[in-house]
Amino acid sequence: MMRRILLFLLLIAGIRVSAQNNYAASLIPGDLLPYASAVVRSEEITTDVKEPDNVTYHVKRIITVLNKNGDDKTNLNVFYDNLISVKYIKGFIYNEFGKVDRKISERDFDDEAVSDGFSLFQDDRVKHYSRAVTSYPYTVEIEYELKVKQTLNFAPWEPQYETNVAVEKSVYSFLCKPDFNIRYKEFNLPAKGTVSTNKDGEKVYSWTAQNLKARRDEPWSPFEDQYMIKLMVAPEKFYYDKHSGSFTNWQQLGKWEYDDLLKSRADVPEETVQYIKNLTADITDPKLKAKKIYEYMQQKTHYISVQVGIGGFQPFLASDVDKQGYGDCKALVNYTRSLLKVAGIDSWYCVVWGDHEEKKSMLGNFASMQGNHIILCLPFKNDTTWLECTAQHLPFGFLGDFTDDRTVLACTPNGGKLMRTPKYDAKDNLIKRDAAFVLNDAGELSGDIESAFKGLEYDDRESMIAKAQTERLKDIKRYYPINNIDIKKLDYKQDKSLDPVTYENIKLTAQEYGAVNGSKFYFPLNSIDRVSLGLHQVRNRVNPVYIPHGYTEQDKITYTLPQGYVLDSEPLNIAIDKPFGNFTVTMKMKGSELIYDRKFQLKDGTFNKEVYDDLLDFYDKVRAADNATVALVKK
Amino acid sequence: MNKPNFMYNMRKFILLFTVSLISFAASAQDFPFGEVSQEEMDMQKYDKDTSAHALVLNEHGRARISETSSEDVNLIFEHHIRIKFFDDKEFERYGTFDIPIYSSDGLVYEKLVDVKAVTYYRDDAGNLQKADLDPKKIFRVEQDKHHTLVKFAMPALRKGCIIEIKYEIESPYYWNHFHSWMFQDYLPKLNSQFEAIIPGFWNYNASLRGYLKLTDSKATIDRECFTYHGAKSDCSHLTFTMKDVPAFVREEYMTSPNNYLSGVYWQLAEFTNLRTGAKEKYSKDWKDLDRELKEQYWFGGQLKRKEMLKDRVTPVIAGKTDSLAKAKAVYTFIQKSFKWNERANDGSVDGIKKALDAHTGDAGDINLALVNALTSAGIPAEAVLVSTRENGSINKLYPTINDFDYVIARTSIGGKVYLLDATDPMLPFGMLPLRCLNDQGRVFNVDKPSYWMDMNTAQRAKTTYNIELTLGDDGKLKGNIIRYSSSYSGYLRRKEIKKYNSLDEYVDHLSSDMPGTKILKSDIVNVDSLDMPVGETYQVEMNAYDGMNHDRFGFNPFIIGKLKTNPFKLARRDYPVDMGIPSEERYIVTVHLPAQYTIDNPPQGQAFAMASQGGRFITDFQNDGSTFTFSYVTQINSSVFGTDEYNSLKELFNRIVTAEKTQLEFKKK
Repeated sequence: MMRRILLFLLLIAGIRVSAQNNYAASLIPGDLLPYASAVVRSEEITTDVKEPDNVTYHVKRIITVLNKNGDDKTNLNVFYDNLISVKYIKGFIYNEFGKVDRKISERDFDDEAVSDGFSLFQDDRVKHYSRAVTSYPYTVEIEYELKVKQTLNFAPWEPQYETNVAVEKSVYSFLCKPDFNIRYKEFNLPAKGTVSTNKDGEKVYSWTAQNLKARRDEPWSPFEDQYMIKLMVAPEKFYYDKHSGSFTNWQQLGKWEYDDLLKSRADVPEETVQYIKNLTADITDPKLKAKKIYEYMQQKTHYISVQVGIGGFQPFLASDVDKQGYGDCKALVNYTRSLLKVAGIDSWYCVVWGDHEEKKSMLGNFASMQGNHIILCLPFKNDTTWLECTAQHLPFGFLGDFTDDRTVLACTPNGGKLMRTPKYDAKDNLIKRDAAFVLNDAGELSGDIESAFKGLEYDDRESMIAKAQTERLKDIKRYYPINNIDIKKLDYKQDKSLDPVTYENIKLTAQEYGAVNGSKFYFPLNSIDRVSLGLHQVRNRVNPVYIPHGYTEQDKITYTLPQGYVLDSEPLNIAIDKPFGNFTVTMKMKGSELIYDRKFQLKDGTFNKEVYDDLLDFYDKVRAADNATVALVKK
Repeated sequence: MNKPNFMYNMRKFILLFTVSLISFAASAQDFPFGEVSQEEMDMQKYDKDTSAHALVLNEHGRARISETSSEDVNLIFEHHIRIKFFDDKEFERYGTFDIPIYSSDGLVYEKLVDVKAVTYYRDDAGNLQKADLDPKKIFRVEQDKHHTLVKFAMPALRKGCIIEIKYEIESPYYWNHFHSWMFQDYLPKLNSQFEAIIPGFWNYNASLRGYLKLTDSKATIDRECFTYHGAKSDCSHLTFTMKDVPAFVREEYMTSPNNYLSGVYWQLAEFTNLRTGAKEKYSKDWKDLDRELKEQYWFGGQLKRKEMLKDRVTPVIAGKTDSLAKAKAVYTFIQKSFKWNERANDGSVDGIKKALDAHTGDAGDINLALVNALTSAGIPAEAVLVSTRENGSINKLYPTINDFDYVIARTSIGGKVYLLDATDPMLPFGMLPLRCLNDQGRVFNVDKPSYWMDMNTAQRAKTTYNIELTLGDDGKLKGNIIRYSSSYSGYLRRKEIKKYNSLDEYVDHLSSDMPGTKILKSDIVNVDSLDMPVGETYQVEMNAYDGMNHDRFGFNPFIIGKLKTNPFKLARRDYPVDMGIPSEERYIVTVHLPAQYTIDNPPQGQAFAMASQGGRFITDFQNDGSTFTFSYVTQINSSVFGTDEYNSLKELFNRIVTAEKTQLEFKKK
């Protein structure tokens, strides 16, 4: 009886609250307005695990859009695929004063295929609300429910995923039966979560975030895990597309992936087995054997992505890749692993976060389905070798900046194992240039530039190498912004050894490189290697400065000056040394030759936020030096 | 789109075409499927273009109007192509196929039938092998209710392989567009042949686009090739062949590649009304088109009832008496009522009222709503059909509305003509976005005959800079930078500013354009007054020199808005340079030096004008003791430059870039 009354009171209270629910934009606390183009007024996200193959994901979000930059932040996109179905979508749009402007219903949503831009096929779809609101501010209330037929991975809670969005309140709840065990990982949460039991006997985990000021997109920020509020949940026992298993650590998760997803996928046709055996018969060094097999795989396959259901985690059969000649990262790694096995070489399928800008690692103390790419690890004795299997042109053992220097999960027959990929140091990522130019008294420049690209810079010119010569001749001008440049010769050579190098040789002329003014002659000192980075000032910066990869540029230019002229400028001599980099320039005369030496180095690392202004200043000074003009005068 | 009604009693017609007819000549044939020669397999490179990574060995297309088993009339298009890969560089672009399938209503789809695809390659042992495409590996992606993509990746691609693909598409959409054909692509082709088989009931005009010439064209008659409900008709059988087609190379400052790629396009001219047997014009002259447009729901249907939006615009113009003020209010109202979905269109498919209620629409919805809103407010207005720069140029050989993809509004108030596009709320009244400035537009009025008008209006992009700096004893240059962006430059500047949430963030980002310059204070005016120039004033400080312990300083007077490199780098250009909008830039910088300094190398003023008067660049230098002034003017007077003006234009930009290197020297007296 008591309970009934209480429920009744709650109902009345609920009605009162909803009648008073005021979404007027003027009620947003003033301190949430700076840098915000939208404000989440309230958000409730609930994951309710009913059965391992039946999860309800419920979202109710009220968000006020302040200006047109906030239109995209309303997130009126509901994604689904073969394992997710949309149960309903409903909502309202309110005007500035919180009065209903219109109702949102599911039929106002367009249903479209989602394309990641590189997959041939994927089963992802989106329901997208396309009607618009044109007067600001306005408020959107959206509520939808998804039925999710798997428990292997749960959508993380990221209440402030978007930049320029402030949050008044966001609540995440995770409901499950008492015997359904979970583990979770909190990132930057202001308050710990709570656990309770509801009236149906379900466990209820709950987290709340409140009054979050809008964050800005600050250049050179570390990855989001380091400052963004986030919660990840992992199951103990799970079900996914006719597969099931359980894990509480990386060892067990890796074991499941190996046993359930990989083990039975390695058979290759007999002809290929024979071919591989013959191919490697005369080689004794296992590393050289592996190199031969890797190169065979590269010329036989190319990358094509197809993602459907468990196919998002499980590779195609090796025999399928053998026949079709293509596959995604999973398929090509599995195929390479299978070929290596034929030659008696063990290798491990490794899950990694591939990203050029951020070195994102598998979370050491929290096992869950992470990563977006697969690479292969060859655990030779005292010499671990790593292979990227989706690029047909990379040298054996070269990972590049997509997967270097981070923790990956190796799926071995004995289970999962966290490993670290190799790091490329600033001094090893080297662009070295040697140029010899002659300037005549009409201002024409002619000469050669020889460049070498090493370390991570090795594949800097990969896109040029792929091009036809006519296209190369057009595009090379982007790299060398020399006015009136006329390329007489351009060629590339690649040394694909374990320490790979790309060489670029150019012969060029450029009219009017130097400008004659009376008895004076002016020319730019450095036109072959200038900093091009356009950094902008960030007032009130919040995030530390993160430099993922360092590199070194080392240039030497020798100019033979036009006859009858002598140097009229002060010689340029600069040396700057900072924790994040250094820059030295010298300019010397030797007979009729002017010799210019330049070294620029950026170092990787994370630095405190005050360093950002230093970095701006550093780049300004480098830029000024790179843009220096030399004045000559007639004798 | 209406389909003709067929009857059993049909007269026979012969399609008339501009090439002469040869009766009973042997018709062209598709090349055989499934046979590759040793020679083709062994080919190492293409001698006519050694830089090509792949080559189309042969390509054949055949389009015909035909009856289907379900007694519908369909356009059947067969495509057969064979491509040689010399290396692996083109696998990504040409080794996978995306075949679009269209449906106008989401119910009746085009049909892809009979896909045959084979890869011929040498296996590890060097033996020739064939790999067929596995039908299970053909994917259908339903992008939305109108568009489906059929996708597949060719199997077993290896260096030196040849792929061969053949498929057929049955389409119910043949009515005003017969199948077009592109002879040219980004790969070179040895041979590209297209056959068009058109029953006498339809007569299409063909037009060729691009700079290349056909190697051969033929026309024959196929007797009684078309049967419908027992009635028979002859067909015109046209064959176009282009051999040794070079790869198309994209160049900068061009409009759509479709303007330049060689291809054949069709437009229905007349057809037989099968109920009466009489020949009817489909679109012969503008009078017919005017009438037809007027009747179409998506076009005339939105304009005929001139007071359709009266209840909506009455409050908007309340209290306004003069026409211009009313027109501006209506324009602003439509701008603010819509969010453009970024799509071009020349009509309103679901009607302007529905679009207005949804607050979103394409260019057709928005601008036809604008025309009607203007007439509803009592201001005479017309619709102007245009082709956007991306869409390409308009075929004026014969009247057609198929080349248009966009519509704008035109009104004349007090003798002045205003062209209006309400898709972008940041456009001031009377300004058009760049995308509309292409060739000519056709002005349409429900009461009067339509007519052409030029789209390159008097619009200009105009920017002025006024900079005043003082060199202090601490080696710092301090002062103000003032920039005024008017007309089209004002529009672009507003768009840039509005990308940010606040002026502060905009100013922060501005600093990346002026390295070495710190902005201490900023003042930006007229961001929301669309008819006024945007004014920006920045109080700046440049850490120019580390102290004053030098005898001389170098100074580059180009502080902001540098061009840096000449955008024109080609030795020769085959296509016109299309900049869209003439422009003008005026720049003046005044520098006050400490008394003990003077200018060591006062530069000479220079002037360069293009022979055609299409553009000029002038610099000036004035020195008055310790104060000097440097200024320049750049004017581009035309929006399009012909290939003959290319060198002169390139030279103009060369002068600018060279001048930007000007290094002034301050020297201790």
